[in-house]
Amino acid sequence: MQENDPNIRWVDESPLSARERLYLPLFFEGLTTTLRHLGRSLAGKVVTVSYPDQEPKIDAPLIYRGVHRLNRDEQGRVKCVACFLCATACPAHCIDIVAAESPWPDREKYPESFTIDELRCIYCGMCEEACPVDAIELTSLYNLTGRSREEMIFDKEKLLSVYDQTKDKEPMRSQRQSTGSYAAEHNRK
Amino acid sequence: MWEILIKSFVLAGGLMTAAAYLVLLERKMAAWVQDRCGPNRVGIPLTNIRLFGLGQPIADGLKFILKEEFTPAHVDRRLFVAAPIIMLTSALSVFAVIPFGDVIPPLKLWGWGWDRPIPLAIAPHMDTALLFVFALNSIAVYGVILGGWASNNKYSLLGGLRSSAQLIAYELALSLGILGVVLASGSLNIRRIVEMQAETGVWFVLAQPIGFVVFVTAAFAEAARLPFDLPECEQELVGGYHTEYSGMKLLLFLIAEFLHMVTAAMLIVLLFLGGWHFWGITSWADSNSWLGAILRVVVFAVKTVGVILFFMLVRWSWPRFRFDQLMALAWKVMLPLGLLSVAVVAVVEQSKLSGLESWLGRVPAAWLMVIPAWVVAALAWWVVAVAGPSISDNTPRREPAGWDVQF
Repeated sequence: MQENDPNIRWVDESPLSARERLYLPLFFEGLTTTLRHLGRSLAGKVVTVSYPDQEPKIDAPLIYRGVHRLNRDEQGRVKCVACFLCATACPAHCIDIVAAESPWPDREKYPESFTIDELRCIYCGMCEEACPVDAIELTSLYNLTGRSREEMIFDKEKLLSVYDQTKDKEPMRSQRQSTGSYAAEHNRK
Repeated sequence: MWEILIKSFVLAGGLMTAAAYLVLLERKMAAWVQDRCGPNRVGIPLTNIRLFGLGQPIADGLKFILKEEFTPAHVDRRLFVAAPIIMLTSALSVFAVIPFGDVIPPLKLWGWGWDRPIPLAIAPHMDTALLFVFALNSIAVYGVILGGWASNNKYSLLGGLRSSAQLIAYELALSLGILGVVLASGSLNIRRIVEMQAETGVWFVLAQPIGFVVFVTAAFAEAARLPFDLPECEQELVGGYHTEYSGMKLLLFLIAEFLHMVTAAMLIVLLFLGGWHFWGITSWADSNSWLGAILRVVVFAVKTVGVILFFMLVRWSWPRFRFDQLMALAWKVMLPLGLLSVAVVAVVEQSKLSGLESWLGRVPAAWLMVIPAWVVAALAWWVVAVAGPSISDNTPRREPAGWDVQF
């Protein structure tokens, strides 16, 4: 390598200012930064959430991606029309739908069984985006636990009961005025 | 005999406990500076009482004892075992000469007690105390190098090599920082050095600011604390010289490191920050009362803890030096500054002896000579600020056009 090779572009660091050369101002600047954070922590303003003792505050529960639910319509029937869009969109292949002819006149098919393997799910929210009828949604329930693998495979009844549990706090997408979050507002426009 | 045994046990036990709790304090400080809580779950064992995590050192210690102590097959077994032992022994032995207070006055209770003041150090009358401290500190380097060498691992070896280069470079700065103190107090006895500062009330940090800066910087490097923790920087060398160590051997290394920090903090306090002396609280006069003795221990402890807290804050305040910057700082900045400090102290002391003290009196002369020391310090700082970046600049040099050198 020749140092005056025209193909080499030399980039210089900007020269140190007088303040940086004296070092002491920077010394105290660094110290005051750490001391400020130290004081803030000692005053109790820490970012840590002591989880089992203290519930974390979810900033935007309406766009949080937690446990799934299957929504009901006004008559209490499952909204799902068994179109398989969610199962197709799912990158983890955790949705298993068995479709059957609908007993109701307003649609052709309905899910005879609808199971989600919550252990395989990666909570990406693609099912929610794919759904044309707002039937599958992710809730803000984050503390999902179970004692066996079987317990973590949620069937239709379980998913509908998640809806019953969360419908008051988190209304369905189609019934929301605003999600209160920037991202959702932005998407609506 | 009994006196020394009791003092040794108290000191060794106290230091081990202190090292364990310093680990907790270090973790707590790290957490607080980063807006976290830090360890706060472990309290009294087998109960649900948490006590702000004060039980954490017990859990940490148990973890180290119960963990598998794995010795890799490719190591030099004898040196591998010897390294942590050398390191901890030398780190602990230093405390034989470091006083942790002044003296306890005589006590007689129901025929039991002692009739002469007891100095609060294991070997209080050692006139070569400072030499002893630095000799043992240098032996600790052997622990690091042997550990790095015996591990037969490139990260360990790099850590050990860096450590030897760094410690040799900063040993010089450390000695030069101390030379001024020794020159001014005329003794290597630590107790005598503290007494000198207490007599005049002028701590050596005031009288020798350059020496203080040089010594503190070198002490950080000697203790391998963060701006200079190149021997074991986790980001580059996994764990440095103790990469291959686990279990109790690792614990010995870690305790030794914390003890080095305590030694450095205590030396800074003793040599430059007045030891047990504080204006208005502990003066030269109250040496033979119990209140005075306890106050001196308290003042010394508070100062030491303060310096240790500063050590821990520094860890999170400034980025680490690159290795060439570290060496440039040692040889091109700290060494000249140390020499300058010694020269200034020599001139100041000589001017005191040749008439200033007899004219003004001992104490006013000491205070007066603080002024030229700080003027010189400011000038030296300015010179370093102007010259520093250019002498520590290691970017490849480009010759002007026409200077054709074929490589």
